[in-house]
Amino acid sequence: MNKPVIAFFPEASFGSALNCVGIAQQLQRQGAVPVFLCHQGFTGVFDEYGFKEYQLPASSKAASQRTEESWQAFITAHLEHFNQDPLAQLETYVRPTWEAIVDTAIQAEKGLETLIRRIKPDAIVLDNVIMFPAIANAGVPWIRVVSCAETEIPDPNVPPYLSGMAADDPGRAGFEAAYLKATGHAHRRYNAFRGRRGLPPLPPGEFLETSPHLNLLLAPEAVRHQRQHPLPEDLFVFLEGCVREEARFDPPPLPVNEGPIIYLSFGSLGAIDTDLIGRMIEVFASFPARFYVNVGGFLESYQSVPNNVYLGSWFPQPSTVAQADLFIHHGGNNSYCEALYFGVPSLVMPYCWDGHDNGLRAAQTGTGIHMQRDSWTPQQLRDAMTKLLEDKSLHQRMSRISRFMKAANGAAKAADSILRTLSQT
Amino acid sequence: MVRTRSNTRQNHLKLARQIVEVALERGLGCGDHLPETTLSEACGVSRTPIRSALKLLESNDIVQRREEGGYFLNLAPEEIGIKGISQLDEMEGSLAARILSDRAERRITDVQSVSALVRRYNVPRSAVLNALKILSSDGVVAQLPGRAWAFQPLLDTPNALAESLSFRLALEPQAITAPGFEMDSQKAGLLRQQMEDFLKRSDGSMSSVAFLHLDCAFHSLIAESSGNRFICGALLAHQRLRLTTQKDHSIPDFRLRQSLEEHLDILDSLERMQHQLAADQMVLHLRRSQIRKPQAVNRGLLPLARKGMA
Repeated sequence: MNKPVIAFFPEASFGSALNCVGIAQQLQRQGAVPVFLCHQGFTGVFDEYGFKEYQLPASSKAASQRTEESWQAFITAHLEHFNQDPLAQLETYVRPTWEAIVDTAIQAEKGLETLIRRIKPDAIVLDNVIMFPAIANAGVPWIRVVSCAETEIPDPNVPPYLSGMAADDPGRAGFEAAYLKATGHAHRRYNAFRGRRGLPPLPPGEFLETSPHLNLLLAPEAVRHQRQHPLPEDLFVFLEGCVREEARFDPPPLPVNEGPIIYLSFGSLGAIDTDLIGRMIEVFASFPARFYVNVGGFLESYQSVPNNVYLGSWFPQPSTVAQADLFIHHGGNNSYCEALYFGVPSLVMPYCWDGHDNGLRAAQTGTGIHMQRDSWTPQQLRDAMTKLLEDKSLHQRMSRISRFMKAANGAAKAADSILRTLSQT
Repeated sequence: MVRTRSNTRQNHLKLARQIVEVALERGLGCGDHLPETTLSEACGVSRTPIRSALKLLESNDIVQRREEGGYFLNLAPEEIGIKGISQLDEMEGSLAARILSDRAERRITDVQSVSALVRRYNVPRSAVLNALKILSSDGVVAQLPGRAWAFQPLLDTPNALAESLSFRLALEPQAITAPGFEMDSQKAGLLRQQMEDFLKRSDGSMSSVAFLHLDCAFHSLIAESSGNRFICGALLAHQRLRLTTQKDHSIPDFRLRQSLEEHLDILDSLERMQHQLAADQMVLHLRRSQIRKPQAVNRGLLPLARKGMA
């Protein structure tokens, strides 16, 4: 029998891209041939892990030339919105982001259809927040990966997506109404596009249906919600995280090389906020720990780095988190799951999207502390770090979660489920 | 002759760090024997400098010499990596390396006065001047009119890394094709052995620091074999800069392996005297290394590629 070709199509974010790498590594070990369909600009990322890549054709030369300008405009426009609460962000951040996502889906469609026809995959794994009709119409099973927070699949007992609020929050109905209003225009455009591509419309607020073949969710048991309508087990598989194999990180020795290791990463987008990271580094200077800080592409923005702090533009995160005693992050689901997987407490400072949901969830489940980005004092930051480092019962709880998640082997579970789905069709 | 003594000491210090890394990579523990012959093969140098480096380690209690013969590790395995290397950092003679590493890690600004460095490191003025001379001989710092010293660009940012690769892409193939290329076969053999040993390691145990050492050793060998003395000088200085200041911990194991296999292919071609083919393979190797992760990504926006991305 020929080896099945599994095409992965992660969205253009490191979280989902690297989550897919973890599943693809396992599928490869089990005899499948994983390949990646990737957005322009991501070329080489999957190749470095040994996977064949197919880049989506650029929509136009002008579009690719605009990338840098778009980013500059994005940074200028949105940096101040990062400090807003989730409700205020619906208008300032969520609305334009959904418009851009819909644009991406429309622009990618033709190229994606051509690529799929050329690759002839046996299955497609979609780790995204929107359906690309070319995938639903490909005539092969497609698997949805929910690498965002569990809130992406709605339920009355699950907090509203991107709200950062509890499921029973009295403001829930107001947030849901505001969400539908903010996403309304993009949603209508998207449904019209779906119609042109032969797909039925989706209910308001939804941009991606669940797969009739298989759905994989990262959400670990320790932070999962009790759903009013449990998801059918034959179609929904919880992976308990899904951590890729990554290069080994050897923490570079620091001039002051003592104390616990604290890793800070707000992701490539969060690294844009150099003011926030700069203020935090000032606090780190007098805190008895070693800090490894991901500053993305903005290393040049920092001077006079303290002797107990090391700045890097990229860290092999799984190996780095595994060695850390505390992980300060933005609540990105991949980061949060990696912290849980390695039993490391989280200090979550969200700035957008499901980071808000995970920030609250970390506090609710006692797996971390949720902190506002813009309203902390140096003493509050020191106290939060001290509490997370010294709380013995928290460490015992985190160790139990870590043991359970490691034993579950999410990547292997995902690969098994995908191959089983394939054999049943 | 101060500089010569300092440079020799620097070399022993580098070797001592390399020995600690070899011990760490091979999973050695407290009390384990460190045979000179094995270290000599692993580090690609004769036993005499290995002995000097072991003496340096002994003076810092990282190893101990026993009557029954040879040196033995004096630290628990988990302490070797961080404690061992940081102890070495504090050794006399490593001031130049400390200054360079502090600059690469943005602890000090790119223009420094001797007095500021004296205050920061709490060492005599002569020691700072000596360290600056060592750095200046490698082209890392230059004296400005007056008393200040300025650092040259280092390999400390993604953009600098991209520029470094472009620079090497322009010169390294030329280093091979310039008339008079001649490689030390013994050095090449030792390097080949080290790369093959590295390739035998399992995924997840390939240290990126150890890889950087091997990578710089390979590209330095290419540089010093070149028949063009100017290309040789420029590339050797650049490799020294890479070794001390390059910050890149982002290479997945697959690419590390692929990269070492490309080195071995280049060595094969050079040993067959197929210089043009080796130069072409070098172009391919460096182009592959040029591909970097995008700088920033967000839903709905095209990822922002790094400057120099192929």
